Amino acid sequence: MVRFIGKRLLQMGLLFIVFLTILFFLLNAQPGDISQQFVGNPDIPPEAKEILRARLGLDQPLFFQYLNYVKNVLTLNLGQSFDHFPRPVSEILLQALPRTLYLFLTATLLSYLVGFQTGKLVAWKRDTPIERFTMVGSIILYTVFYPWFAILMLWFFGSKLGLFPLGKFLDPEKWFDSPYTANQVFNMMLLSALVAAILVGAVYWFTHKIVEPKPRQRARRLLLALVAIGMVVFWMVSPMSQYAADIAYHTILPVTTLTLVFYAAITLLTRSSMLETLREDYIFTARAKGVPEKVIRDRHAARNALLPVTTSFVLSIAAVIGGGIVTESIFSWPGLGLTLLNAVTAEDIPVAMGALAFIGFLALVAHLIADILYAVLDPRIRVES
Amino acid sequence: MTQTVSRDTPMLEVRNLVMNYGTKDGMVSAVEDVSFTLARGDSLGLVGESGCGKTSIALSLIRLLPDNAVVKQGEVILDGENMLELSPEEMRMRRWDDISMVFQGAMNSWNPVYRVGDQIREAIDIHWDEKPTVREANAKIAELFELVGIDPSMMERYPHEFSGGMKQRAVIAMALSCDPKIIIADEPTTALDVIVQEQVLEELRQIQHDLGMSIIYISHDIAVIAEITNHIGVMYAGKLVEYGPTVDVFARPRHPYSWLLLSSTPSVTGPRMKLAPLEGEPPNLLDPPSGCRFHPRCPFATDRCVAEEPPMEDIVEGHRLACWNHDQVPTTAKETE
Ligand SMILES: Nc1ncnc2c1ncn2[C@@H]1O[C@H](COP(=O)(O)OP(=O)(O)O)[C@@H](O)[C@H]1O
Ligand code: SF4
Ligand SMILES: [Mg+2]
Repeated sequence: MVRFIGKRLLQMGLLFIVFLTILFFLLNAQPGDISQQFVGNPDIPPEAKEILRARLGLDQPLFFQYLNYVKNVLTLNLGQSFDHFPRPVSEILLQALPRTLYLFLTATLLSYLVGFQTGKLVAWKRDTPIERFTMVGSIILYTVFYPWFAILMLWFFGSKLGLFPLGKFLDPEKWFDSPYTANQVFNMMLLSALVAAILVGAVYWFTHKIVEPKPRQRARRLLLALVAIGMVVFWMVSPMSQYAADIAYHTILPVTTLTLVFYAAITLLTRSSMLETLREDYIFTARAKGVPEKVIRDRHAARNALLPVTTSFVLSIAAVIGGGIVTESIFSWPGLGLTLLNAVTAEDIPVAMGALAFIGFLALVAHLIADILYAVLDPRIRVES
Repeated sequence: MTQTVSRDTPMLEVRNLVMNYGTKDGMVSAVEDVSFTLARGDSLGLVGESGCGKTSIALSLIRLLPDNAVVKQGEVILDGENMLELSPEEMRMRRWDDISMVFQGAMNSWNPVYRVGDQIREAIDIHWDEKPTVREANAKIAELFELVGIDPSMMERYPHEFSGGMKQRAVIAMALSCDPKIIIADEPTTALDVIVQEQVLEELRQIQHDLGMSIIYISHDIAVIAEITNHIGVMYAGKLVEYGPTVDVFARPRHPYSWLLLSSTPSVTGPRMKLAPLEGEPPNLLDPPSGCRFHPRCPFATDRCVAEEPPMEDIVEGHRLACWNHDQVPTTAKETE
């Protein structure tokens, strides 16, 4: 397993450099150079322009510029923003990052959890009205033009029903005397989710050594309940809780919209994967052994149907990031996507480049996680590596 | 079970079983009026060309037919109880406990994501009268693995770490795990290479002999059946056409189909017979031939065969067959030359 992860990390590093290379040369393939935009004013005398070009390193050969660029990115030196000069790009991006992570992690996890369960049940209830209804709904959601759907959701729940706030990720009135910045709260929310995930993982890891199933299950239930109670108590006593609640309230609409769209895709995929699995010989074996139908569905069929769904998760990451820009701009969610969009419209090249590099990096990390997950789920891969 | 079972009653009795598959082109007559018995500790071979309904019979016995299958008629009586009348839940508890199976596609019988031992333990947990601890179950699995010639430590491994022959042996171990009354082995060695085939066959025979359970052995290969069974049922186009002690049927096949089938296979037991080859294809069961289903291919067919269906009749005690003209079938190899 360690070797497997090591190999993947190496591949990841190489891929990232390839990605940066493409990014850099694509940008340089554009007519003109950055100095044109930075000092585009024709009133500036050519000599001054030359000095600026030298300062920016633009007088050097392209290849040296490239090496410099890669070195800077790898040391997290992304330069300074043109638009918010002289704020460092990395600071701007690191501020936007937790917001994006928060939004997309919630939507992805929710849609996978619910979508997988739905797909599983729908495949099991083949040729029933429930199946047909779910299928039609999922296909509509899956094929709908996403920006239109997002605006529709915003209009209906935000404007028409007035249930949820329009845009913004917090209510400034509640925050003006807040001792915390929004990012501190975001980070705490992400951190607590991470701690919870690690604890759950630890519970499974330590209990899997209990041989007999009954006590193992009891131990798991007990420990998981403890983790859940711990989380609830933590947020109840935390002085941040009212601010976290405000953020959560603002999250409902964008998360629901995103979740619905992912959810449809995952339901469709799980269903077809499940139907394929149900035709396998080992499902027949399980029936012949007298395994109860529910156990066949959950332990035999769904567990295997999960494998292709996990693969698709890897492939869908790019789409998730693309959708991020649309989602964040429609819901005025100041994450990486919106930062990128604003940077592009303001011709803030360093921020745009930095945001793209960041997004590429996130995609690679997500791939790595999905790969590890896949290896954990499929013993065939685990052993081969 | 409440009935007392006398020694003479066979353990399993299949009576007049009729089973069809509904398709968009009509009904496929896959099992047509099949009756046979199986005594405790006995081994029965079902033989016939591919598509003649062998698997369909096996699946009817454990009631695991596809959704489009309809059992139209018949009884499957195991120790005095009609299996076809049990509720689905009762039937589920009987599977593997009373009748276990070694499958045709045994290579893919294992769920790839679970350890082989755990998959056997799943059956044990369901069917043993008293649910054993993991330790107890593992001890039983180790014992079974030794019996079928697999290193017991392999139970901790995943299916993809097993070779084809080992997978099949492990399936046999799993089939034995709940001490069933009957094991149905449906072409269990077809997917294996010849050497492994022989070994697995020999092991099956030995185990059946040692443990004394009954076995229904299904194969299209009559030579294989001859090696390991003491009764044989020859099937043609959904019908059982000849049934009797293996030695008798081999020494003197009386049904024209058995006679031709035997002659077209290289013999392992007796001298090689030089007979007319088996020509033509099995019929389409959507629209089986009238009268005797074998008549389009039978060298002894008469008008009566086209018009009337021959009944299964005892020719000698315990040796039954369905043919109007069985006395025409040459009795020994010499006569055919
Ligand atoms: N699910 C099914 N639907 C329709 N016809 C089937 C189905 N399964 C088997 N058959 C048909 O039933 C007949 C008997 O098949 P089978 O029992 O598998 O034969 P065997 O095991 O002797 O090769 C064949 O003609 C086959 O085409
Ligand atoms: S009944 Fe007629 S057709 Fe059928 S096997 Fe006998 S001789 Fe041949
Ligand atoms: Mg078959």
